[in-house]
Amino acid sequence: MEEKIKQMLIDVVGDKNFTDHQIDMVSYSYDASEHRHRPICGLWAETTQQISEILKIANKEKIPVIPRGAGTGLSGMAVPIKGGIVLDLSRMNKIVKISIQDRLAIVQPGVVYAELENALSPYGFFFPPDPASGKVSTLGGNVATNAGGLKGAKYGTTRDYVLGLQVVLPDGRIMRTGSKTMKSVSGYDLTRLFVGSEGTLGVVTEIILKINPRPTVTSTALATFDRLDDAGRVVSQIMFTGIIPSALEILGRHTIQAINQNTDLNLPEVDAMILAETDGHTAEETDFQMKKIISVFQKNNPREIKSAKTEEEARELWMARKSAYGVLARIKTHFVLEDVTVPMANISEMLKGIEAIAGKYHLQIATFGHAGDGNLHPQILYDGYDPEEVARVEAAISDLFQLAIDLDGTLTGEHGIGLSKARYMSLEHDPVALQMMRTLKKTFDPNQILNPGKMALEDKEAYDGK
Amino acid sequence: MESKYDFEKNYRDQILKCSRCGFCQAVCPVYGSTLRPALNARGKMLLLKEVMDEEIELNDDLIESLFQCTTCAACVKDCPSDVNVPEIIKQVRKDMVHIGSCHPAFKGMKEVLQKHTNIYAEDEAPDFKRKRDQRAESVYFIGCVGSYREEETTDATLSLMDRLDVDYTLIEEVCCSGVLEDVGFEINKDLARRNIESILTTGAKRVITGCPYCWRTFNTQPDYAVLKQRGVKTIHLTQLLKEFDWDVKTEKRVTYHDPCDLGRHCGIYAEPRMTIEKIAPNFVEMPHNRADALCCGAGGGVRGAFAKNSIAMARRRLKEVEEIGAEVVLTDCNSCVHNLVNAKLRKQKFEIRTTSEFINMLMEEQLKDDSISD
Amino acid sequence: MEIQGYYLPDDLYYEENHFWVKEEDGLLVMGMDDFARKMAGEIVYIQLPDEGKIIKAGKKFAKMESGKWLGKVFGPVNGELVAVNEELEENPGLINEDCYGKGWMFKIRPDDIGEMANLLHEPEEIEKWLLAEIEKYAEDAEDK
Repeated sequence: MEEKIKQMLIDVVGDKNFTDHQIDMVSYSYDASEHRHRPICGLWAETTQQISEILKIANKEKIPVIPRGAGTGLSGMAVPIKGGIVLDLSRMNKIVKISIQDRLAIVQPGVVYAELENALSPYGFFFPPDPASGKVSTLGGNVATNAGGLKGAKYGTTRDYVLGLQVVLPDGRIMRTGSKTMKSVSGYDLTRLFVGSEGTLGVVTEIILKINPRPTVTSTALATFDRLDDAGRVVSQIMFTGIIPSALEILGRHTIQAINQNTDLNLPEVDAMILAETDGHTAEETDFQMKKIISVFQKNNPREIKSAKTEEEARELWMARKSAYGVLARIKTHFVLEDVTVPMANISEMLKGIEAIAGKYHLQIATFGHAGDGNLHPQILYDGYDPEEVARVEAAISDLFQLAIDLDGTLTGEHGIGLSKARYMSLEHDPVALQMMRTLKKTFDPNQILNPGKMALEDKEAYDGK
Repeated sequence: MESKYDFEKNYRDQILKCSRCGFCQAVCPVYGSTLRPALNARGKMLLLKEVMDEEIELNDDLIESLFQCTTCAACVKDCPSDVNVPEIIKQVRKDMVHIGSCHPAFKGMKEVLQKHTNIYAEDEAPDFKRKRDQRAESVYFIGCVGSYREEETTDATLSLMDRLDVDYTLIEEVCCSGVLEDVGFEINKDLARRNIESILTTGAKRVITGCPYCWRTFNTQPDYAVLKQRGVKTIHLTQLLKEFDWDVKTEKRVTYHDPCDLGRHCGIYAEPRMTIEKIAPNFVEMPHNRADALCCGAGGGVRGAFAKNSIAMARRRLKEVEEIGAEVVLTDCNSCVHNLVNAKLRKQKFEIRTTSEFINMLMEEQLKDDSISD
Repeated sequence: MEIQGYYLPDDLYYEENHFWVKEEDGLLVMGMDDFARKMAGEIVYIQLPDEGKIIKAGKKFAKMESGKWLGKVFGPVNGELVAVNEELEENPGLINEDCYGKGWMFKIRPDDIGEMANLLHEPEEIEKWLLAEIEKYAEDAEDK
């Protein structure tokens, strides 16, 4: 980086908040995906004003800027694939305001999800999305990827809760979107444009979130099914009961086997396992809901149904689901975790299709996921040092996405496109839609400096992750 | 191709298993107090991966990250991929020392222990007004921090043991030197030998250590295996204290800080609490306790090499004490006490004590009250 | 004055453990001198006792630490501690940055301001003392 520019950046953030040390450059090359690329420097910003000045400089000098929170994204959104400046927002981490009567919380992007939960908990409130990475991921990151989580089926995703934002545009101008009100239809909904935009349209510097009162009681039950079709039917039929469970998770056969091999949970080896949770303010309420769900289980040839009678038992029932990711992560040297999502009615077709792809390419693919909103997580386990196997994995992923699209689904329910899925955008989106996305990007960022190289936003099809 | 580094020979698979999930950021105390990903467990594994792939060199540039780890093992507990970062780091440090790349504070520590009996290069230990090297059932092994930085605490602990009629003697102790294994070197065999000789000469069948780290060293390091072989058992002070019942109590709101070396590393969570709950009915846990306890920041050599960050970590731990409104925080490691005391802000009015010191204080107060009422 | 690279301002009084003292509005301001702060290295902690603490001449009333050294702060005169430099709580490095200015440590109300005469002040005394100290530390460093 030119000395002159380096000095300009140091003048904005101070010596201690600029780094080009090797150890930082290495860290900032990665997120939680398999992609990597070196940036030329890292900056820690603490105020909106600083970010505005940084972007002005970068925009003028045509240097890429990649905003970063905790760097736990799974698709390469925070990887500086075109070099440039990593803008680390983790030190911009104040909870600005919590207002229970207004039902909102205002936070800076660097606040960790779990921190917000801790701050809301004494009031009996929570911020529902509950992403699995919530102990580390930041709200800025959650907004950039429209993070979802276990409670998605009943409570939706991050975008359902963002009331307004303060954003710094790629040219350094600062603007606000949305409002502090529960509803507003004043002008275009720019808030929704930024949520899920993966840091390509602006840098979010303040977030106004709607918060919910936390239901205090839950009921939990687990059912196992020898046949996948039965499990799939359960998911569809639950909707007809009029009950929306607060969580509805599914584990496939390979996942169950892997868990058995690596823990002493000793689960029955079946085609599928479904975990359901209902929530409310009284045990009567949650039990009433759960009874209806259990009757759906019963109508579909379950091998076994277990109902938790205490919090301890509920925790035990959840253990299998919570251990899935970790167990699968240890089996081979590498893995890819996808998050294809289909309409609920097509879940068993999707699961069968995944089995077929695994067979076709001789790969180990274990699936688990949020059956309640059709969001499945096929985890492909492979030896990353075997180029032949890697090639099969890439082919399998391609088939996987095609399958999801054919089943009226989407490439990604919550992990985002980033680098990993950029080349598949045209599978899902028609050329006109893609063109509109690119036009919008050019409008916001004519010099293409903000997180370039992501989401197929440039007129190029292939993105070579390394 | 044979790897040139031991860390790669021994831990290659583990390092490769790190899936970069970043969940360790939630618990790493160094990351928590600096918010600098390069210092986090993941950041360290990324560096090592690149070293193994020969994309970067193992050299001085990496010291700031690889030597800044308290080895608290919080990351190990939550790692979905079972990567034992502290073990890997300790090995890497040895590799780095081998190639001449070492943090000056750690090199300094090794050199100090070659010429002195303790890590502080102090010439004389306080005598604690007690004879050393007597014949007794137990040896009380103080440790360097207790001898040279927390003398008042040690004094109180010895007074307590006197009150309990424990048959113990101090010895002319020298540094257990266990810390050298953490910072790229090896136990100082000469010092180990001297300790063992002093202990065996007393005829004691039991060593009670005030310091959890010395306890671990005596129990796990091969250079101290001779003790077990000769029938000498080493326990930590908390394991002794739990056997007693007490006549004293406090109404104060008391909490307990689990030292990493006692807790996460050795699973000793219950014993200290057994004692404290007997004397403090108003006992309350901090939000992060037992296996989740926040590291005080002093371990793994960090207090010597990165003192400011070390104290920042301690300050972060003390915020929890404040959060729960505790008036007293007890812990059973002199090193934790030292770092926490240094970090405590003036406006924070709580006391920081070891359990033994606190009980001794309560007993002294009771004696005073008794004599006044007589 | 400057002696072998160590800077000791002429208008200050010096306690032999390397603390400087000056009078200000009837109180004594106290800090660490250039020699000591250079020997100590970066100060990471200084104990700041509560106001009202009784200070006895020649007796330790506070501790301080650098990475490798534990130091004691001795009372220069008899008196009462009335103020501490609170900036040092989170930024003890100020002592290294500006030991005679922003790095001041304590303010004491002396029982008898005349006791200042017991401290080193004349240029010849200071020079003799400091040269002896420099030699003593050089010997110690060799032994170590």
